[in-house]
Amino acid sequence: MLRFLLNRLLQSVVLLLGVSVIGFALMHLAPGGPMALYTLNPTVTAQDIERVKVLFGLDQPVYVQYLKWAGGMFTGNWGYSFFGGQQVREIVLDRLPATLELMGTSLLLALVIGVAIGVVSAVRHNSIVDYVSAVAAMIALSLPTFWFGLLAIYLFAQTLHWLPAGGTASTSGGDLFDRLRHLVLPVAVLSFVLVAQWSRYTRSSLLDILGQDYIRTARAKGLRPSRVLLNHALRAALAPLTTLAGLQLPLLVGGALVTETVFSWPGMGLLFVNALGMRDYPVLMAILMVGAFVVVLGNLLADVVVALVDPRVKLEHG
Amino acid sequence: MSTDTTSGAGAAAGTREAAEIAKSGQMSRRDVLLAGGIGLSLPIVGGLTTAASFALSADPARAATAGQCVLGVTQEAVNFNPLLYVNTGVESSVEYIVFDALWKIDPSGAFVPNLAAEIPSQDNGGISKDGLTWTIKLRKDVTWHDGAPFTAADVVFTLDTLMNPKVTVRSRNGQEHVEHYEATDDSTVTIKLKESFAPYMVSWQKTSIIPKHILSSVADINTAPFNTSPIGTGPFKFKNRVAGSYIEFEPNATYHAGAPKLTSLIQKYVPDQQSLYAQFQTGEVDIYDLQGIPPLLYQKAKALPGSTILLSASPFIEFIYFNCGKPQFTDKRVRKAIYMAVDKKGWIDAVYYGVPLPTLSYLPPSHWAYNKKLVDPGYDPAKAAALLDEAGWKVAADGVRAKDGVRLAFSMSTTAGNKSREQAQQLVQQNLKKINVEMTINNMPASVVWGDYTVKSQFDTLMVGWDALLYPDPDYGDRINSKAIPAKGGNGSNYVQYENPEIDALCAKGVTIVSQTERKAIYDRIQEILLDDLPFAPIFAYELIIGVKDRVHGYQVNPYTPINSWNTGEWSTT
Repeated sequence: MLRFLLNRLLQSVVLLLGVSVIGFALMHLAPGGPMALYTLNPTVTAQDIERVKVLFGLDQPVYVQYLKWAGGMFTGNWGYSFFGGQQVREIVLDRLPATLELMGTSLLLALVIGVAIGVVSAVRHNSIVDYVSAVAAMIALSLPTFWFGLLAIYLFAQTLHWLPAGGTASTSGGDLFDRLRHLVLPVAVLSFVLVAQWSRYTRSSLLDILGQDYIRTARAKGLRPSRVLLNHALRAALAPLTTLAGLQLPLLVGGALVTETVFSWPGMGLLFVNALGMRDYPVLMAILMVGAFVVVLGNLLADVVVALVDPRVKLEHG
Repeated sequence: MSTDTTSGAGAAAGTREAAEIAKSGQMSRRDVLLAGGIGLSLPIVGGLTTAASFALSADPARAATAGQCVLGVTQEAVNFNPLLYVNTGVESSVEYIVFDALWKIDPSGAFVPNLAAEIPSQDNGGISKDGLTWTIKLRKDVTWHDGAPFTAADVVFTLDTLMNPKVTVRSRNGQEHVEHYEATDDSTVTIKLKESFAPYMVSWQKTSIIPKHILSSVADINTAPFNTSPIGTGPFKFKNRVAGSYIEFEPNATYHAGAPKLTSLIQKYVPDQQSLYAQFQTGEVDIYDLQGIPPLLYQKAKALPGSTILLSASPFIEFIYFNCGKPQFTDKRVRKAIYMAVDKKGWIDAVYYGVPLPTLSYLPPSHWAYNKKLVDPGYDPAKAAALLDEAGWKVAADGVRAKDGVRLAFSMSTTAGNKSREQAQQLVQQNLKKINVEMTINNMPASVVWGDYTVKSQFDTLMVGWDALLYPDPDYGDRINSKAIPAKGGNGSNYVQYENPEIDALCAKGVTIVSQTERKAIYDRIQEILLDDLPFAPIFAYELIIGVKDRVHGYQVNPYTPINSWNTGEWSTT
């Protein structure tokens, strides 16, 4: 186990290094750059742009820029934003709590509801409940979230006045109740989509298991149906679901681009969209690296958990 | 087990699920059609989101707090040092709230003393007879938000910072015309200019003063903590900021022009226009400012109860920018024919619901220097076609005009995703097709199109909204002077690569004369030549649609500032 973890950690470092090189190169290869937005500023002349470009080091070869950036990262300096000069670490860490709040709640809620619906659909296979959940899931997965978002705002904020239209809290402050009220709509919209995914995965995974010989054996032995379902079938069905959870872990820090924009939620998704639009290279790299780190971590965690729930999987081969 | 097997398991689960859906056969065609039907109704319901909402009469669930005012913007301010880094428009708002310049400009276009005790002029001896020496008297009763006194040393420090090549100053605001400056005493600054420079009044109106006692000791002003928690002399203090959400300002009780009436001012960032409109409607936002309410919603917004909708003239003019360096556009008759073939009124009415004002110049028609004698060549496709025939551009076999092997075909670029501009482009495309000119649309993200593509004159044509460099001064030399072409190694923003010796001479003369009547004659002539040469085709002057809740008092639109936060000290709410 320990050898496996060390091995994987070493692999992860190499992987992250590779991601940073490719990410940095792609970012600089892509047409356009951070100076474009300066062009649109009133009172800015071409020589002003040239001067600022040199101060940002953007006139240097890309590998020099990369080495400077990578050197900074190793010493804990994530660089400074090209738009305001704020420390990038500060910018990213400022946004992380909001995203964790939104995504954590949504993922948790989706997991509980989604698995529950999935189990019911699998057990009551081809029943009305199954059909309704299938159709609902298809709708949730095929319609764009911005539309759900705007519809929710129209219904619950503009028409019924039950809930606020956006933000994390009222501008006049905000107690726990106020924060929860702000959380309801974005979480509902996000969970809707996530529940759809979880319910479908759970259903198909469980159906697969329920068709296995050992389930028939268990039933033949005269075990109670609930015991067969919970102890034998669901446990076995958990392995692929753990993998899905691992794959969704990056959402926790990556945030939800569209939902955050529609509900003006100050999270990582919104930060990423803005940084991308402005080509704020240091911020983009930081988000990329944080994202890559969590992807690697999520995979690792999923592997470990799968090994724990599925005795057939051995970690030593990793 | 490796990463690959992990994702393999995930993929397997996915495949199984798909197979399951297919196998069960329950996702019938009818279900798919139903889902598709909902998808189709999407734009309609999307429209309803805003359409039906004005029927509201009840007040919002959240009671608005008296004394508090929430200013809604669709762009996030990220830079709070008024001299440094980028200003995408919204930064001006923070700048006006927290900082002061020596004087400000009021809605009538007059300069009003702010940190200066009086506006320098030749009459009061503030400006020497030759216009080169400026003696500026400062107020003695001003303090910074931390209590330190404001003195002439701060003004000198501000100039030092602007001129420092190591500082990421976004613009020197024309201060590069200064030869020498010094603080002659605690409340007097003396400046000597290299040459007479008429827009210099505007330079100071645009230069907010930063505190020497805080910034002179920092190691690197580019990354100073001051840039995220600024200290100014303005009507409000920067209280706190929730990144990606809002900035809260508290009143500066000792403000030199009198304590602000509000108890709290909040600049709230709502990235989506529809969402901001919804928040304005529910009362979560008191003022919909910056880029304003989309013209599409203008009529509906006017019917909103408890709100006033204002039109705010803006310094920005919408243009078609021709790259005069491209073979298609070297002949001014081609540019003129295109200008005549484009239905400008149709453009304003169909795309912008008739809100913006047509203009024939780079200035809005309300500007004092606007040449009222300009004659509109009009919308006349037949004349345009005749002009192209005369210039030798004959219709070739492929239906597109050509001359000497050059096809009269070009691309037009602007920021991708700007829906109004995209509609306008299609309109222009149709207009030009009628005179056998082929226009293709080549839009790109802002970070691409306004980069080297624009600055190094790589475009064919651009659709762009731009203002004069030191607006409201009418000087436009930076964009039309032949020595200002960056693509040819020049200093300036002449991206259209326009060259005309007469214009060069007029521009040079225009900035040296101080008398407004004499200047008017020069700028009249410049506008007349530009309308004839058409290096860029002026279409309209933007009018922003600002929404203000009736509980807000003292809000006043100002056509001479990029944002209407110029008098926040006088705002109040009930």
